[in-house]
Amino acid sequence: MGDERETPPGSINEDEPQVNQDELILAQQRQIEKELGDLEPVSSLNNEYSTDPIYLEKVKDLSTKYKYVRRTRPDGNCFFRAFSYANIERLLEKKDEFNQFYKLAEESKDVLVELGFQQFTVEDFYDTYMEVLKRLRNIDDIDEARKELHTLFNEQGFSDYMVVYLRLLTSGQLQKEHEFFSCFIEGDRTVADFCHQEVEPMYKESDHIHIIAACAALNTGVRVIYMDRGTGRTCNEHDLPEGCTPTVHLLYRPGHYDILYP
Amino acid sequence: MAGSALRRLMAEYKQLTLNPPEGIIAGPINEENFFEWEALITGPEGTCFEGGVFPAKLIFPPDYPLSPPKMQFTCEMFHPNIYSDGRVCISILHAPGDDPMGYESSAERWSPVQSVEKILLSVVSMLAEPNDESGANVDAAKMWRENREEFNNIAEKIVRRTLGIPT
Repeated sequence: MGDERETPPGSINEDEPQVNQDELILAQQRQIEKELGDLEPVSSLNNEYSTDPIYLEKVKDLSTKYKYVRRTRPDGNCFFRAFSYANIERLLEKKDEFNQFYKLAEESKDVLVELGFQQFTVEDFYDTYMEVLKRLRNIDDIDEARKELHTLFNEQGFSDYMVVYLRLLTSGQLQKEHEFFSCFIEGDRTVADFCHQEVEPMYKESDHIHIIAACAALNTGVRVIYMDRGTGRTCNEHDLPEGCTPTVHLLYRPGHYDILYP
Repeated sequence: MAGSALRRLMAEYKQLTLNPPEGIIAGPINEENFFEWEALITGPEGTCFEGGVFPAKLIFPPDYPLSPPKMQFTCEMFHPNIYSDGRVCISILHAPGDDPMGYESSAERWSPVQSVEKILLSVVSMLAEPNDESGANVDAAKMWRENREEFNNIAEKIVRRTLGIPT
């Protein structure tokens, strides 16, 4: 998942003329100049599928559970950008949890350095990450804080550095729990190799394993709603890690994640 | 984000100056412009490039370290992984998925936590152990495989030239 090479099993009916997902995604990329768009009603997804009854049915199902969608730039970083944004956004309403999260973030650089990351390669990303959190912490009005979050995540300099830092935290988590995660890595790559090739570089898309490690790194859970051309009228949902109480909701369409709001 | 790139390049320069890896010197050509560096790389011992001092240029993009720099030797070179114009072609200078030479999936790739030092160390290993599967210079790759003696002779001449010794 989250990777053009893989599709969830049974999701695409080979006999169907396939909607050209690549073209749709390219169109979306041109359309949103922003890293993250404004809130749009879930029904706005209909515009992309006006001739596709399967998707239309699923958008209908989706709109019974969610009110809004926030689109993200489909550049391979979408999971990390969406997850980082949505997680901070929901913490803005919860001062105590925000402060706990802040403390965890403050300590995170030392953890990475202990794991073997060179300090000077991590520093700038950490500093940007903390600066964003600090700026948000200093704003008392929640709506103002939301606006600031949106502004910062749409400034490429901040936004990309937030993405990199979450990639590094995810890599750190995978390496910390390498014994557990090694079972999920195909081929004879070590967890560290996997991190260097699939997690740390920008624009590499995310799979289940990235999501589970990112959730553990940020100490939260996510619900992913899968919307594809698979049979059935409803979208499948998946909580990661399994059995968690999800705080962040993401919409997955083959190759891409956007944020959902109940 | 040229500001972040500059900050990072200054940090790397400091790191390389305080803690230089053996046989490598690198830094900005002119401290007014941190986006163009020169490096001097000593040929690794026990290889046909031993004793040579090879100058190269590194050009950094404005979004460094999100994207990798480009590297080019400015002296004559003859090596399977160096183009005839001196450009270096190794996996660490490419992000995953960017595969001009069909690198092995296990090969080291660019990411924001790589560094100039790691690149230069990879280049030293490349000089010691050419990868003749990825032929940036096909003639050199062929000669490395089939006529090692001739390859070593050419390398020796290049080494002498970098030192200003008549060949």
